[in-house]
Formats: sequence, C-alpha cells, structure tokens
Amino acid sequence: MEPLKIVVTGPVGAGKSTLIRTLSETEVVDTDASASEVIGKPTTTVAMDYGTLYLGDQLLYLFGTPGQDRFDFMWEVLSEGALGLLLLIRGDRPEDFGLARRLLDYITSRQPVPYVLGVTRQDQPPVWGPEEVAPFFGVPAERVVGLNAKDPRSAVGPLVRLLELMIAEGQIA
Amino acid sequence: MIVTKQEILQGILRELKQALPELRSIVVASTDGLPIVHDAVDAPRVAAMAATALGLGKRISQTTDLGTLEETIVRGNQGYFVVYAAGDKGVLAVSAPADANLGLIHLEARSFAARLAQAL
Repeated sequence: MEPLKIVVTGPVGAGKSTLIRTLSETEVVDTDASASEVIGKPTTTVAMDYGTLYLGDQLLYLFGTPGQDRFDFMWEVLSEGALGLLLLIRGDRPEDFGLARRLLDYITSRQPVPYVLGVTRQDQPPVWGPEEVAPFFGVPAERVVGLNAKDPRSAVGPLVRLLELMIAEGQIA
Repeated sequence: MIVTKQEILQGILRELKQALPELRSIVVASTDGLPIVHDAVDAPRVAAMAATALGLGKRISQTTDLGTLEETIVRGNQGYFVVYAAGDKGVLAVSAPADANLGLIHLEARSFAARLAQAL
C-alpha cells in the first residue's frame, strides 16, 4: 500500500502543529520560531511540521504548513504530490472562518484534492460545532469533523474521515 | 537626543552596505518572518522566506548532526541568497551576484549579524 501524503493547513493557532505532535508515531520535525506578533501563543511554525502515523495498514505522511498569509509560498511547496488535505479551523474563532474559506477555495480550485475540515477546540465550549460550520463553508456535513487536537483519539477523527471519503470515492483502494 | 532601536538598526544596515557594496539587497527580519529594516523592494516576502529558510536550516542542521547552524545558502546560476541567524530573535538575509566573494560576505555578514543580535 502506497503511503498517503496529507497536508494539514489552516489559519494561525488552529492546532496544526499540535495535531501532528499528538498523532505522529515518529519523531516530529517542527520549525518553531518565537512569535513577534500577538497570536495567543509564544511560538509559530515558519516552514513546516512533519510526522507519520499508521491508520490500520495505511501509512500517512502529515505535512503541516505555517498559518500566516505571509508564508503562503510554503503551501505550494508542501502540497506537491499531496493526496489529501486537512484544513483546521478554531471552533472558538469564527472571525477566522472567512480567511479559512478563502484558503479552502484557493486550494481546491488550483488542485482538486480530497479534503476534510477539522473544527478544533471542541473540548472548550463555547465553540462552533461541525454541524454549524458546514453550512458556513457550504460543504457537505460529512466533510466537517469536530476535534480536540491534544487528544489522540479525537485528533485522529478527521484523518479517519478523510480516508473513508477517499475510499468511498475510489481515490484509494 | 534619543536614538530609537529602528535608527540603530538602520545605521547597522547602512554600514553593512558600505562594507559590502556588491550586495543587491539586505533584509533584517524577525525569526517569525516580519521585516524590521531592509533595502529590498519585496521585503515582506523576502523576510518570510528568509525566516522559513533559517527555521528549516536550523532543523536540518540539528537532524543531520551538523551542530549549530551558521547560515543557509541558496545558490542560483545568477547569484546567492544567504540567511544568517542574528541571535534568537533575528534573521539577516543578503542577496549577492554570482561573482561575489562569498568568503568576504560571510566574514562581514557574521559580524554584522552579531551586532544586530545585540541591537534587536
């Protein structure tokens, strides 16, 4: 079975690095630098995160992007050969949804790739749930999954969904 | 007279240009990719890329047992783009033509990067 390259993207602070650290079964490659803007955390990813895990027999390579617009060139670099996309958004920051929707449109219009939206911070109400986020993004409900990026059992949810959708659509066996 | 941090950094930038007149552009940025002082037209983009190159360079250096990163060098057939760490907070990126003296650039840029680290 061929390994699947998945890109994990989304606005700053969505939980991309956290999710990869939570799920990776190998040592994570991260590129944190101290944040000079107020973004609610001391460090930020400047190049990429990288981790790997097995879902059953399927090996996944997870490539995380930086979150700020100014690093948009990394999206093109990291998405080379990507077979799936996980877009993370913080469920308690609806002000970021507009940006995330533009990101999703930008990505899927350039290169149609199977995707799932992950809505993070489900453990910290008040927070938007996946069923509320789906209509905002205008995407089918099954493409939106709620999660807590710090909890391994919860964080794996959107990746399981992505694989299920890819299998259902015949993109992987 | 009060000299601001920005003025000190501008002064260092001017001195670096005098020391290495062959440089095409100089960008000083934060390690998270925001321009601080520069003489480049497309500074925001170069600053972000310099931070990415430095961050990835540090990680490659660590992962492959190269020790502490000295600089990341991109060499094209028409020139160089070299990124130096300026302490923990800063990045110094310089662009030079292909016939530039890279040894001299390293010598000067490393000492200016140390001065920038103090000033940042």
